[in-house]
Amino acid sequence: MRALTLLMMLALSLAACASVLGIRPQAPSHPFEHRAHILKGINCLECHRGVGLAKDTGPLHFPSDAECVRCHRKPHDERPCQGCHGEPYVRDAAELARTHLRFEHSRHMVAAEGDCVRCHVEVTEARPDSVLPKMATCFGCHEHRDQWTLRDCNGCHVDLEAEGTMPDDHLVHDGDWLREHGTRAASARDLCASCHTERQCASCHGEGTVPALPWKLALGNDMRLSDLHPAGFAARHSLEARADPGLCTTCHTESSCIDCHTREGVAPGSTTTSPHPPGWLTPAGGDHGLQARIDPVSCAGCHGGAGEQLCVGCHRVGGPGGNPHGPGFNSRQDEHHDMPCRLCHGVGR
Amino acid sequence: MSKTAAMDARARCLGAGAAAGLCATWLTVARADPIRLRGDALLQTEGGGSPTGLVVLQGEDAMQPWISAEGLVWAGATPSATGDVLVLSVRLREPHGYAQVQLGRFVLATGAVHPVQIDGAHAIARAPWGSTIETFGGVPVVPQFGSRTYDWMAGGRVAEVVANTATVGVSYVQRREGGEISDEEVGSDLAVAPVRWFDLAGFAAYDVTNPGLAEARASAAAKVADWRVELFASQISPGRLLPATSLFSVLGDFPSETAGATVRWRAAPRLDLLVSGAGQDLAGGLGGNGFVRASLKLDDRGDGNLGLEFRRVDVPGSQWTGVRGVAALPLGGGFRYSNEIEIVAPDYPDGRGVAWPWALEALSWRSRDGWDVGAALEASSSPLHRYEADALMRVSYALGKP
Repeated sequence: MRALTLLMMLALSLAACASVLGIRPQAPSHPFEHRAHILKGINCLECHRGVGLAKDTGPLHFPSDAECVRCHRKPHDERPCQGCHGEPYVRDAAELARTHLRFEHSRHMVAAEGDCVRCHVEVTEARPDSVLPKMATCFGCHEHRDQWTLRDCNGCHVDLEAEGTMPDDHLVHDGDWLREHGTRAASARDLCASCHTERQCASCHGEGTVPALPWKLALGNDMRLSDLHPAGFAARHSLEARADPGLCTTCHTESSCIDCHTREGVAPGSTTTSPHPPGWLTPAGGDHGLQARIDPVSCAGCHGGAGEQLCVGCHRVGGPGGNPHGPGFNSRQDEHHDMPCRLCHGVGR
Repeated sequence: MSKTAAMDARARCLGAGAAAGLCATWLTVARADPIRLRGDALLQTEGGGSPTGLVVLQGEDAMQPWISAEGLVWAGATPSATGDVLVLSVRLREPHGYAQVQLGRFVLATGAVHPVQIDGAHAIARAPWGSTIETFGGVPVVPQFGSRTYDWMAGGRVAEVVANTATVGVSYVQRREGGEISDEEVGSDLAVAPVRWFDLAGFAAYDVTNPGLAEARASAAAKVADWRVELFASQISPGRLLPATSLFSVLGDFPSETAGATVRWRAAPRLDLLVSGAGQDLAGGLGGNGFVRASLKLDDRGDGNLGLEFRRVDVPGSQWTGVRGVAALPLGGGFRYSNEIEIVAPDYPDGRGVAWPWALEALSWRSRDGWDVGAALEASSSPLHRYEADALMRVSYALGKP
C-alpha cells in the first residue's frame, strides 16, 4: 500500500514538473492542433477564410466557432473553441505583427503557390512556440542584403522601437548579454538603434547619471536575474569594483562616487567612516600604492580634481612619497606644462 | 523614519502624485498614434535621510520615417540633484538609409569609442556595397545643469563590410579639457558571422596620449539546438580609461585580463540554465569568478517566473559568495506580486557583518489604459547600515508604448 502511495505521489510530482517546465501543456489552453489538421489534409483556407486575399490591413482571419462546427458538428463543450484551442499569446503576437509589419498575404500566396506551410513551417510541429514565420524564412526568398547594409528596416517593419519584441533568429540577445552587449554593439551601434531608443542607452551610459528609472522602481514588472546592479549591489559595490578594475567608468564618472560617498560620510572632508582598510597608509607607504595602480579609477572617484593635491603633497618631485610612476608608464605629454604632469614637475618644482 | 520625515515623505508623495496627474492630463490631450509619452512619479525613503521623489517624463515621436525625436527629463528632490535632461535628440534619416544625422543630447558610442554622453552631432553616410563613414563632435555633458567649461570631443569611424560576412571598422576620437588633450584613441572593431550558428565580435582601443592598449574585448558564440556556448576575453588598462589630465593616469600600466566561457542550455521549454566562469589576472594576482543561474517561466508567455542564482567571486581584494532568488507571480486583474532575496557572504568580513542580506517585496497593478502603480518594501543589512528598511512607490502613465 505504501509503495503504491509513493508511486502515485511520484507520478503526480512528475506530472506537475512536466507541466511547470513546459514539457506538457497546462490545461485548459493549449496550442491549436494545426498539425492534426494538416495530417488530415485540411487546407488552411478552409478555416482561415479569406486570408489568401488579405491586404496589409484588416482582420486577422482567425477562425470563429462557426468555422469549427462546420466539421466538428458535436462540440464537446459549450464554451468558445478559442478559449482552449489556441493560446492567447499567439493571437497577441499576430495582432502585434499586423500593427508592426508591412505584409500582404495576397501577394505571397501567388509566389508560394498556395502552400502556406512553405512559410508557416512551425505549424507542422506538435507544440510550436509560435506559428508566425521567423525572419530567416523571409530571408529565404527576400535577400534584403542592401536593406540590411543600409539599416533600412522600414521596408517591412513599422516602428521597430515601439514593437518591443526580441528577435527570434538574428541578433539574439542570449547568454550573459549584459556583459556581452558592448562587445557585440561595437561594430553595429547603428543597427542597435533600429530597435533601441536613446533613452535605453542613456539610462546607464549617461554622464554622471542618476538613473531616471532605477531598476528597483520597476517594482516587479520585469524582475530578472540579469539586471544591472541587482539586489543589494550597494552593499557589495566596492567588492564588485575591485573584481573588475576600470569597469565602472563604462557608465559612471568620478562624480558618481563622490556624491554618494559624501552623503554617506565616507568621503574626504566629511569622514566619519574611512572606506580604506587598516594598513592603507603607513609611514612606510602601506597598501595604497599597489591598490591605486590596480584600480586608479576607484581612487579618482573620490580624490580626483582638487583632491589630487592629497597625492601631490607626498609624491611631488623631491617629496617624501617617492616616484609614483609604475612600470609601463609612458606619456607624450610635456612634463612642465601639461596636466597632470605640471602638478609635480611644474616650473620651479 | 521620524515624524517630520514621514510628513515630508507624504508631502513629496502628494506632490509627485499631483505632478503625475497633471502629466496624465496633458498626455491625454496629446493623444496621437505615433507619439508615445510616459510620465512616472517615483518616491523612495532612504533610511534616516530625506526621502527622494522624482518625476520622470519621456516621449518620442516617429510620425515620419525620415525624422524622429525623443526626450527624457527628470526633476525632483534627491540629496544631490534636482533635475537633469538625459536625452533630447532629433534624428534625421534619408528614407533608404544612405545618410543619417543625429542632433542634440545623446549617448555617442561607435566602434571602439567608449560611450560618452554629448551635446552635439553624429552623422553617418552608408553605401549599398557596405562602406560606412561616421563623424561626430560635441561637448561632453555636464550633469545636473552644472557649469560648462566647453570642453569638446570629435572623431569618426570608417567601416567596410567584407564578403557579406564580416564588418571591419577603424575609429579615432580626441577629447579636450581646458584646452588640453584628455583622451586620444585610435581603435578597431570587427564582427564576423560566417554561418548562422556562429558569430564573433571584438574591438580594441589604443591610447595615443599615454601610448598603450587601453581596452580590448572579444566574444565568440556558437548556438546549436538548445545550447549556446560563448567564449570571451578582455584586457583593460584602468589608468588609460581615465582622462590623461587626471593625476591617477600616471601610475603605470597594470592591465587586468579576463578569459572565460558562458554556456546556456534550454533544459526544458520553460527552463533555462546559464553557467559562466572566468579566470582573471589582475595586477595584484590571479583569481576568477563565476555563476550558475536557473530561470523558469511559469507559463508559456513568461508572465510568471522564478529565478535562482549562485555566484562566487574570488580575486585578490574581493572574495565573496552570493545567492539570489527572484519570483514574479501574476495575481489576475492586472495585479502582480514579486519578490527578490539575496544573501552575500564576504570571505573576510572585517567587522562588516558575516552576511549582507537584502530583500524586496513588491506589489504592482497595471491597467489596460496605461496606468501602472507599484509599491514595495526593501530591507537590508550592509557594511554601512546594520539594518535599513525603505518604502518605494511608483505611479506611471503611458500613452502609446514608449
